[in-house]
Amino acid sequence: MHELGVVIEVVKTLDRIVLENNLTEVESIVLQIGEISSMIPKYIEDCFDVAIDGTQFEKTKLKIEVLTATALCRPCNRVFKLVENEGKCDCCGGNDWELLSGKEFLIKEIVAC
Amino acid sequence: MTEFKILTIKESVFKNNNERADLLRESLKKDKRFLLNLMSSPGSGKTTTLTQTINRLKDEMKIGVMEADIDSDVDAHTISKTGVKVIQLHTGGMCHLDADMTKQGLDGLGVDECDLIILENVGNLVCPAEFDTGSSKNAMILSVPEGDDKPLKYPLMFSICQVLLINKIDVMDVFDFNLELCIERVKKINPTIKIIPISARTGEGIDEFAEWLRTEVRNWKM
Repeated sequence: MHELGVVIEVVKTLDRIVLENNLTEVESIVLQIGEISSMIPKYIEDCFDVAIDGTQFEKTKLKIEVLTATALCRPCNRVFKLVENEGKCDCCGGNDWELLSGKEFLIKEIVAC
Repeated sequence: MTEFKILTIKESVFKNNNERADLLRESLKKDKRFLLNLMSSPGSGKTTTLTQTINRLKDEMKIGVMEADIDSDVDAHTISKTGVKVIQLHTGGMCHLDADMTKQGLDGLGVDECDLIILENVGNLVCPAEFDTGSSKNAMILSVPEGDDKPLKYPLMFSICQVLLINKIDVMDVFDFNLELCIERVKKINPTIKIIPISARTGEGIDEFAEWLRTEVRNWKM
């Protein structure tokens, strides 16, 4: 299961953040996942429950924000939505583009004390 | 009432592992030990390729092998017949190795005197690409029966490797595998990758891979 490995990495990172900031409780965590990052939000949610089991984050709630994949078409010099336009520039229909966003897998923020 | 506050983190989940991988790579460089991370799908011929390669190099350098699998020790058993040091790592259901697990494996293997350590990663084209193990170089095997469209499906894996072995070329006629098209697709993702067509069964191309490894091990020590 691909997602489990990365979610365990999320928990490891949380451990470090808690230590670095002298926190006692993490109420919630917000993850940002790019549309084409190969992570499936539903699976991340399922794996999160397993990964936090038996840790100090058992009560931590997870929120996921999906980031739209965008690309810059080189000939047209314009930005378009990659998935919506099936990998082709919505203006010229070409595929000479540079990826701007969509592969992220970030911890955006946490709510903690 | 405890007061909760929002902490902006904006940090990649892979940052932690990347930092540990960099530390491991630095220490390997300092100790003049070359670590190759070998990745591929299950059944692509990693163990057979390794056996062939080890037999060509074992008389000129000290080699250690780490076999990572979810379960079993069949690969470690096969490799041990070549006479080199080998350790089996169990990932406990995980689909990849990370830098910490690699470090534990190196400690377990006792690689002090090794010039070349080969990590045979879990058979999988997705997750191992996302976790830096701390290796000196990454290699991957794509075998002919898997199809020439794999670079399109798993671009990340092809983008992080310095060498690609296209294995089982002896059976290319049986499969609709277009070698030129496959190479073109790979080069589009990764223009600097070295591609070596091989047959681990007949031994074709293994000399070229062994030579690549020889050069890399030598350069790593400088």
